[in-house]
Amino acid sequence: MSLRNFILGLAASFGLAWLCLVIIPFVKMRNLAPIQFNKDLDGAEGVFYPKRGGRIANGARVYGENGCYLCHTQLVRPTYAGQDMHRPDMGGLQNDPQRGDTRRETNAYDFEGERFAQIGSARIGPDLSNVARRFEAAAAVKGDDNLEAAFYAHLYDPRLKPEQAKAICPSHKYMFDEIEVKGQRPDEAMPFGETETTVLVPDADARALVSYLLSMKKDQPVPAALNFPFAGDKQPSAK
Amino acid sequence: MSSASSATPTSDAAIRAGIDRSLRHPVMFFLTSGAAWLAVSILLAITASIKVHCPTFLDGCGFVDFGRVFPAHINTLIYGWGFQSGFGVLIWLMARMSRQECRSAGTILAAGHVWNLGVLLGTLGILCGEGSGMPWMEFPRFAWPVLLLSYIAIVVWSFIQFRVRAGERTFVAQWYLLGAMMWFPWLSITANTLLFCVPGHPVMAAGINAWFKSGLVFLFFVPSALGAAYYLAPKLTGRPIPSHTLARLGFWSLAVVAPWAGMQKLAGAPLPVFLPYVGAAATALLAVPLLIAALNLLRTIFSSEEKLPKCAPMSFTLAGLVSMLVLAATAVLFNLPGSSLWKVQFSLSGYGFDMLAVYGVFGFMMFAAVYFMVPRLTNCEWRYPRLINMHFFFSVYGIGAIVVGAMIGGYVHGSAAEAWLQPWEYVVDTLRPFAAVSTFAWCVILFANVFFFLHLALMWLRPDRLLAACKAKTEDRVAQSQQTEDPQSTTP
Repeated sequence: MSLRNFILGLAASFGLAWLCLVIIPFVKMRNLAPIQFNKDLDGAEGVFYPKRGGRIANGARVYGENGCYLCHTQLVRPTYAGQDMHRPDMGGLQNDPQRGDTRRETNAYDFEGERFAQIGSARIGPDLSNVARRFEAAAAVKGDDNLEAAFYAHLYDPRLKPEQAKAICPSHKYMFDEIEVKGQRPDEAMPFGETETTVLVPDADARALVSYLLSMKKDQPVPAALNFPFAGDKQPSAK
Repeated sequence: MSSASSATPTSDAAIRAGIDRSLRHPVMFFLTSGAAWLAVSILLAITASIKVHCPTFLDGCGFVDFGRVFPAHINTLIYGWGFQSGFGVLIWLMARMSRQECRSAGTILAAGHVWNLGVLLGTLGILCGEGSGMPWMEFPRFAWPVLLLSYIAIVVWSFIQFRVRAGERTFVAQWYLLGAMMWFPWLSITANTLLFCVPGHPVMAAGINAWFKSGLVFLFFVPSALGAAYYLAPKLTGRPIPSHTLARLGFWSLAVVAPWAGMQKLAGAPLPVFLPYVGAAATALLAVPLLIAALNLLRTIFSSEEKLPKCAPMSFTLAGLVSMLVLAATAVLFNLPGSSLWKVQFSLSGYGFDMLAVYGVFGFMMFAAVYFMVPRLTNCEWRYPRLINMHFFFSVYGIGAIVVGAMIGGYVHGSAAEAWLQPWEYVVDTLRPFAAVSTFAWCVILFANVFFFLHLALMWLRPDRLLAACKAKTEDRVAQSQQTEDPQSTTP
């Protein structure tokens, strides 16, 4: 076989997969067609616009830079690909006080505002797709509504809460600055780690990251066309 | 692959010596700096691994946070050690098989320094918290064009050597090396352009990243390893490859199947459903080229009744071939969409698979090639055979423990994560013993590889020869000064 034919062979065998797996799906997924609400099924009309608040781009950058994706995933797989929908509160709340069962699979609009979906590589820690909803539910039980503080506490030391004493998540103490208090205590001072003269305040990275984590809740009603509820359920859950 | 040549034995040896002399410094530079990066990478692996079972170790310092140390470990392993040992072996094998002296050693050395600088700055970038957050591509974006350009400046000469080779003959090893040379830039340019430069859908970006990662394993590391093995096995045993048809089938099945693999990591993610399942099928099918190549090479080695030569390159080649059989088996066992894929998809086993491919298959073949090449390059036998023995056994047992631990641990871990009635603490508890095993095993491997690096550096720099040269010079000077000056003033 001549060198020319060899190179042509390599180009053909690699190029076919390259086109079919990478280039064409990439181009087709660049601009997904908007999804319309269906009046009969959804009780709403118009175009579905995925909503997500917070500092998504900055937070996602901090999430990537500090390797959160090494241990946490952001994917609720369909029942044919895993048991994620069964695990309590992983795909949404099973018993949402207002809307009932809100569990659903991850859809292509859930990563709105991010450049790279941090699907993750190993579940050493729990999945984070709905971490803000879980924190909300836990805070509601305790009658505490300061969600940010709960996230900051977890970042500062994941083993701070007695029930998580065995957690293996690394602490991110370097994301907090120790400042001296002269006079009034600053608003953003953390309720932990303070001494007589100093308090801890989160730095810019910690704020962005917590803002990003707070956006991790798939609680926006989605059109029936996108709402793949738990396979056992016949009724679409989002009304 | 017999070295059929019309030249007389003396001129043949002269050609080989000329090639070795022309490549001594570039190749030794790549091998030595690769070995140094390997030691750095293992040190980072130990730090990361301790942090899994003992999270308060070096706690609270951003520079050594698990989320930064682990990517630094993987990236130094791949780009610091993997690619550099690959370069060393690739340029030497191509020069030897094309029977061409290297005329651009200076350019290659300079590009090699640029590559090292890119890896160093990239690693510091990760540790300082500037990583890109994409697996196996964590270096900050400035590093990638630097690495790609220096890659081209390093391997393009081998391509030219092949083009102007003496005679029409090609060897099986050359197919694999040419393939590895050409696939990597294509993979790298595609992934870097689509992930860093052109905005696209975030889930598709994750898919392309998974495809790139798999491509790096099966289209750079595996073919480089096979290139070395197809050179070494016939060379060490003095027997030809039993079946050229089988070798051709093995190469082309790899070329056709491997580019489809990789996206099974995203099974269940919202991207076109065929992508992950084609990836799973292709990865399982990759067992075919791996088995074909491994069996062809094992038949070369075991085809006659003569006793096998007992030497380090042979032991490492056999270890690499056994790893290849295990890799083929795992590629099938872990990618069955109905039963195993969803269990191991997000478990420790991914790390085990990567280490098996990078350190097991690729690493052992590279060590085999290094132990074969260096005495020829430096004109000097290995100084301490005991160190080689230790390197072999510690590497085999160490990586064996890591791979078996991560595979079994991955299955246990993945099954625990899928057991949805159990709280998450139960999943974390399954991880600890395997993390402890991995820490211990990396310590053993570090010990072996620090000595490997020192041994290699000793072979290259030859302090004894330097000392002898120094001594000769001093004696010269003394003799000269004795001639010109009063003899009593120079003697102490």
